[in-house]
Amino acid sequence: MKKKIGLHTFMAVPAFALYAVFFIYPLVRGIGMSLTDWDGIGTAKFVGLKNFMDFFQDPRALSDIRTTVLFAIGSTLLLNMVGLAYACLMNKSFRGRSLAIVCVYMPAIISPLIMGYIWYLILQPGRGFLFHLVDNMGHPEWFGNWMGTYGTTLIVLILVNVWQYAGMTMVVYLAGLQGISKELYDAAEIDGAGGRQCFRYITMPLLKPSIRINIVTNIIGSLSVFDIVMSLTGGGPGYQTETLSIYIMRMCYGSKTGYSTAVAMIMFIIVLIPVAVSLKLMKKGDAE
Amino acid sequence: MKRKRLVAVLLTAVMVLGMTAGCGKSGESESGTAADGEKVNLKLFTGKIETIDVMDEIIDDFNNSQDRIVVEQEYQKDASNVIKIKFASDEVPDIMTVYEQGFVDEGKYMDLSDQSEWWDRMSPEMKEACTDVKQDKAFRVCTNRTTAGFFYNKEIFEELGIREFPTQWGDFVEMLEKIKTEKPDIVPWFIFGSEAWHLGHLIEFIPHGYLKSTLGTLEAKKAMLDNDESKLNFADPDGAMAVFAENMKELQDKGLINEDVVTATNDNCTQEFANGKAAMFSNGMWALTSILEANPDMEDKIGFAPYPAYMPDSQPVVLSAEDSGYSISATTEYKEECIEFLNFLFEPENQKKYCEAAKAPSAFNDVEAEWAPAAVVEEVDAALQNAVNIGYTNEKPAGFSGDDAGRLLQGLFAGQYTPESFAQAYADAWNDGYNSASASE
Repeated sequence: MKKKIGLHTFMAVPAFALYAVFFIYPLVRGIGMSLTDWDGIGTAKFVGLKNFMDFFQDPRALSDIRTTVLFAIGSTLLLNMVGLAYACLMNKSFRGRSLAIVCVYMPAIISPLIMGYIWYLILQPGRGFLFHLVDNMGHPEWFGNWMGTYGTTLIVLILVNVWQYAGMTMVVYLAGLQGISKELYDAAEIDGAGGRQCFRYITMPLLKPSIRINIVTNIIGSLSVFDIVMSLTGGGPGYQTETLSIYIMRMCYGSKTGYSTAVAMIMFIIVLIPVAVSLKLMKKGDAE
Repeated sequence: MKRKRLVAVLLTAVMVLGMTAGCGKSGESESGTAADGEKVNLKLFTGKIETIDVMDEIIDDFNNSQDRIVVEQEYQKDASNVIKIKFASDEVPDIMTVYEQGFVDEGKYMDLSDQSEWWDRMSPEMKEACTDVKQDKAFRVCTNRTTAGFFYNKEIFEELGIREFPTQWGDFVEMLEKIKTEKPDIVPWFIFGSEAWHLGHLIEFIPHGYLKSTLGTLEAKKAMLDNDESKLNFADPDGAMAVFAENMKELQDKGLINEDVVTATNDNCTQEFANGKAAMFSNGMWALTSILEANPDMEDKIGFAPYPAYMPDSQPVVLSAEDSGYSISATTEYKEECIEFLNFLFEPENQKKYCEAAKAPSAFNDVEAEWAPAAVVEEVDAALQNAVNIGYTNEKPAGFSGDDAGRLLQGLFAGQYTPESFAQAYADAWNDGYNSASASE
């Protein structure tokens, strides 16, 4: 038995080596770098926690946190609602179901960067496809300057993100729905339960593992959003829709490599907190 | 069982070795082999999209002309950022077109001051533009002179009876109003503000242009390097930055610039100008190619003018700056080979091709190139004679790029700032960039 454990431990070496090279080593180097004023070119000087304190005194950084969190909340909620709705629809058998699943899922396999540029061409005020469409219908006033103000631009970003990734959440929910035994619904129907009651007391509780996976992955993905925002608005107008990932990139290229690493550490914690809380809450729900 | 275990152990060992194989350092340098008699590979790194093809041609000619050196060109759209990664990862190219004050201060470039055969062929202004003020040494050789100002549609101006491009801001606004009133379907001044670099250039050419024209090139450079706030005066509510912001807001409020200033792209601008839907726009000579590609008939219709004076004591300015600079890495093992290649590149016949591809006049006195249609060259020459010629602000703090500046102006157009708060935000960003650069020195 002991021999087997030794061999099995050895078999884990590649996985551990990968983990060490691509996670532990960068993390340790990153922590070290975050305590310096390294500009990416010259020599680094130890500055203690200055970078972390500077971050919380920078109004642009705080605005970026707000944008990132609002984007994440909006995206996570909508992704799950839309994904679940799609899944419930696709769980029924109808003609063209497979094609419909492919259509919903397809945007997820396109690069978010390309997706952003495509949506820019569709939504560009006064010039985009959508503007020309409503203009040809004789109602150019229907088209607002949705990418000129903070609130509307943020909504556009969330909707584009949901449009792209709803297919992914749908697939997870669909797998969950297909794992629920039909007998449970039959028994409930015999007991007089309606559709809404079946959804509340059978579907939702048994979908908890899928909900957990979707919420955690959506939170992580939305909080670290980069490409869609970069290609659709570039974080603008001004810095209004700049997210933390874009801020980190700009600081890093702006000769503040040490500082940007400190922000990356902060972002790591910002992502960790809601993930841990949601996992804990859902585990508690499971136990109950 | 034993055999299975052996196979498992061997496979695991192979995987571990395979994973770590890339981590080792080979004995050869990135740039080529150092052994005698073997070919030297030189890496040339560029961010200049307009010269890729002509450089490939010149490089091919050079590689075929001898059998010791092979030059390889690498283009990156985001060259100024990619080069930082190359410096950090010790994959420094031998020759590069990216030049920044921060890299000069870090000693990343080789001193080229002693290459008199190049400098003797260059005009004194261009030589001065290539010289680092701090060290009084030249770390790059610029092959071209670029110009930036207002491109305008002469046909529209003639139709409206505008004989001369205004030299004072008040007259300039009146002219824009005239265009708007008499030709309501035409955008008087098209600004493509979705691209932060373009807005950054407006700051670079107008308020920074004012500083350079009033302080003088050298004094302005020194003031920027020393962050001399008494001269730069960025935060002053009546200073050059706040007045510039106020003027831009006024144009926006009066509808004298395009409504979609925050979201319009460079392509939109080119199309609108080439199709006669925009009367003018600000840009450098590099924009010429795309305009003529979009509408070859524009060749005789393109006018070019300096930026009007907008402060009480200012004069019209036009950018006449060094362009397309080549530097050699301070750490290259192949200095002689790099110089040999640059000698080839700087030969008059190669420079003629280069200038015609780059659509910019040569910085070398002995190169005669047809870099633009004759009518445009005439316009540019007139603009250069009638305005203060300013250069680029190479002395900006490393942590505050032109794009950063442009994003602030984008914020102004989006209503995020008042002219005063814009000037203050600009001063803060500038000081922040300067302080972080000073702290890491």
